[in-house]
Amino acid sequence: MKITGVVDLGVAIEARNLKKTYHTKKRKGLFRSETDVVEALRGVSFKVRHGEVVGLLGPNGAGKTTTVKILATLLIPNDGEAYVEGYSVTREAVEVRKRIGLLLTVEKGFYGKLTGRENLEYFGALYGLSSGELRERIDYLMKLLELDKLGAVDKLYEEYSLGMKARLGLARALLKDPPVLLLDEPTLGLDPPSARKIRGLVRELAKQGKAILYTTHNMFEAEIVCDRILLINKGVIVVEGTPQELKAKLPKLRTINILLRNGSPESLKKIVLEAGFKPEVETTSEGLLRVKVSVQNPEDVLGDLVKAIVGKGYDIVTLRISEPTLEDVFIYFSQTGD
Amino acid sequence: MSFKDIIVAEFRFVYADVFRRKSILFMFITYPYMLTAFVLLIGYSMGSASVFMERVGIDPAIFFIVAGFTLMAILGVGDDLLWRPLFDEWMGTLPYVMASPVSRIQHYLAIPIPRLILVLISGSTSVVPVLVYYYGLQGLYEGLAIIIMAGLASLMSVTLVMVIMGIVYGMGGENWRIINVLRPLFLILVGAYYPRYLMPLAGRIVSWIIPSSHVIEAIHKMIAGLVSGPIDILMLLGIATALFILYAPPGVKSIIYWEKSKMREGVNV
Repeated sequence: MKITGVVDLGVAIEARNLKKTYHTKKRKGLFRSETDVVEALRGVSFKVRHGEVVGLLGPNGAGKTTTVKILATLLIPNDGEAYVEGYSVTREAVEVRKRIGLLLTVEKGFYGKLTGRENLEYFGALYGLSSGELRERIDYLMKLLELDKLGAVDKLYEEYSLGMKARLGLARALLKDPPVLLLDEPTLGLDPPSARKIRGLVRELAKQGKAILYTTHNMFEAEIVCDRILLINKGVIVVEGTPQELKAKLPKLRTINILLRNGSPESLKKIVLEAGFKPEVETTSEGLLRVKVSVQNPEDVLGDLVKAIVGKGYDIVTLRISEPTLEDVFIYFSQTGD
Repeated sequence: MSFKDIIVAEFRFVYADVFRRKSILFMFITYPYMLTAFVLLIGYSMGSASVFMERVGIDPAIFFIVAGFTLMAILGVGDDLLWRPLFDEWMGTLPYVMASPVSRIQHYLAIPIPRLILVLISGSTSVVPVLVYYYGLQGLYEGLAIIIMAGLASLMSVTLVMVIMGIVYGMGGENWRIINVLRPLFLILVGAYYPRYLMPLAGRIVSWIIPSSHVIEAIHKMIAGLVSGPIDILMLLGIATALFILYAPPGVKSIIYWEKSKMREGVNV
């Protein structure tokens, strides 16, 4: 039974207040044990629409994989509900499984003594594809992911490189051409060509209308692959938006970088502090001094800052105003998300 | 997705795996011979073949070659089921198997079939030649009958193994190690090496609740020439089938229990 609660028909994935607590027993002696309670998710809600790549970013242990596992029907939440294509992941798991493509880790997940093709045939049969469909689909995916060019089609999986494994993992996720893809760090540890290939393909799949949830640690990747980003920390989503929106949410938006010669770092720091700024000062390997000041509107304060520094006899070598990166956003919100 | 598709998938998996691990294929064929030779060498150092004949009523060479083969067939099925969740967890394939829409029950019923067929085919390299050597053409018929009955004995164990598998894995953690304790007990109590009528009473009672043990008893009666009519065999097969059916509902529940408990604790990636 398809639920009618999801109003937006374009929504492919919807998580509503997901909560998950892990209980792990730690043995303390022959007969004694203690239970460790870890709150992995503390009320996670979000939506992913068709044609959209949504990045789930967060530090280790933030709850990214737990979220993906719940959506993939591999984990039952303690509270809350999630829907994939309108089907409940807890009550209609089989319907959800028919509609998702899953990639959890690129390092393993296939049988070593089977070739790439045999592995795909095996999982394709479990996914309900007929032999004819499977043959066509495998040939298509092998070409799409260039596994044929790499000579990986009839090679044993145990002989695969990490890049080949990642491509085969993505091929399995796409076997039944699902409308929803759950990709958990699909480029982790990959060589640049393989990572680029996968990123390009993910963008292409989104254009075809697939809804993609994409977890990563790589800020550069998140910025170029994802339409929207959910920053998760300690089991809650601390901020979400497009990469540009997230950068705009940083209280200190831009950084003035000045490279100087003459003088000591201590006196430079004192001068900048007296001028009313909070600087970061360091000595470069070339013996120059670098001062960094983060402010919202550098144009308004740049004159005062330069005047204060030059007035004390420092020579400016270079001056640069830099935009914040997604990494700054990640670090800022990871530290303030409690 | 039909049951046939799942069996075909399992065939692909098992055959690619077995034929690329030549040592497994070698073991399939040589195990009954190796075991027979081993037991007979020890046996003859402690007593004569005639003593064995007197007590068991069967030539030891025939008894052990049949026992070795029957156990191979039962273990082929049992081990495939018992170790598969653990194997999938180690290979990292479990999340993908569990996230497939296939019925877990159908899947676990399909898992042992390819290996069973392989084991039965390998029976033609051990049981049949030995029986033909001893009894000529009659031995060929008897050998084929034993192969079929060994197949039945294996299949009859499926529901009981499902009960054990579901409970042990459902308990989570390292509890799968319990299988290491249960497996050798099962090997003894199923009666292939140790005929039930020689067991102490407690052993006989436990053995009786194992469906395969009745088929094995039928095999023993057959090779000992103790079958007075088809009813003797049919009665034992009937008991085995009844027990197989009896274990089916708890077997299904047990698999569901395992799946649910896995989903509560989270499938390891």
